[in-house]
Amino acid sequence: MSATEFRLDDLTEVQGIDVEAALDPVEADGYYRDSRQCAALALTGSSSNILLSPPTPRPKKG
Amino acid sequence: MEKSGTSTRLAGAVQGLTSELVSALRSGDPFRLAGSVAEGDDPEVTAGLALAAVRVVGADAVLPSALRNAPCESDDLSMFSKAVHAYPPPAGASPTSVWSHWAMRRALLRLDASLDGDWDHDAEPGAAWLDDAPWQFLTHQLAVLAPLALPDEDCAVARVARGRPVDVSRGFVRAVRRRDWLQAAEAGRWLVLLDGVPETLGLVTGLEFVAQMGRDDARVALQVQAAQLMRAGVRV
Repeated sequence: MSATEFRLDDLTEVQGIDVEAALDPVEADGYYRDSRQCAALALTGSSSNILLSPPTPRPKKG
Repeated sequence: MEKSGTSTRLAGAVQGLTSELVSALRSGDPFRLAGSVAEGDDPEVTAGLALAAVRVVGADAVLPSALRNAPCESDDLSMFSKAVHAYPPPAGASPTSVWSHWAMRRALLRLDASLDGDWDHDAEPGAAWLDDAPWQFLTHQLAVLAPLALPDEDCAVARVARGRPVDVSRGFVRAVRRRDWLQAAEAGRWLVLLDGVPETLGLVTGLEFVAQMGRDDARVALQVQAAQLMRAGVRV
C-alpha cells in the first residue's frame, strides 16, 4: 500500500465518521434575539404575531 | 468541541454544494451535480470529499430535478448513486441517517428508470422513534430530515409530520426564538406542506425573516427556497 493509498483510506474512514455525525447532528445551542432583531421582524409584516409574542413564562424553581 | 480537519472540510464542501443548489433553484438554470465538485490539489481526495458532501446533503442534492420533474444527466446520477453506495448507514446508525439514505435511494429510483425493480419498495424504515416524541425533539428530527418534505412524499415520517402540525409550528417558533435559523428553515419547509398550521404563525413572513437572518448559511437559503417554491406550487 502506497503512502497515498494509506492517506486516502484514512481520510475515507474519518469521513465516514464525520458523515454519520453530520447526519445526526445535536441541536444547536440556542441564544435569543435582541431587541433590534425583534424590530426587524416587526418591520417585515404584522402577521407574525406568535413570533413576536413574549416568551412563555418559565416555571419558577423550588 | 473543536471540529476535526476533515469535518471542517466536509462542512465547507456541503456549503459549496448547497450554494450551487440555491443558485440553480433561484435562477431556474440546469443544475449539474457532477459539475459542482469543488476543485482541489488532490483530485481523489476532492472527489471523496464531494461524495461525502452529497451524502450529507442527501436527496436534496437532486432537488432541482425533483422540483422540475426534469431528468438528471447520466454523470450526475452516477455521482449521486456513488454517494448512496459509498455511505450506507452503518450498524447501529441513527434513524436520521437510515431515513436520509432511504430518501436518497428513493430519489435515485425516481430519477433513474433503469433501476426500477432493483430496490425493494417496501423497505421503508420504521418511525417508532418519533412515537410520542416531545414537540421539541420531533421538530429537531423532522428538521434534520427536511429532504423528505416533498409534496408527493408519503412515508412514515411524513405521516407523523402531517399528524402534528401544531407541534411543528411550535417547533418553528422555538427555533426562531433560539436563533437556530437552519432548524427554523427546515421546520418551515415541512410546515408549507401541512394542513392545520395556525394562521397566526405568520409562516410566510417568518420564512422571509429566517432567510434574512440566516443569509450567511447556504443551507438555510436552500431550505427557505425549497419551501417557497413548494408553497408557490412548483411541480414536484
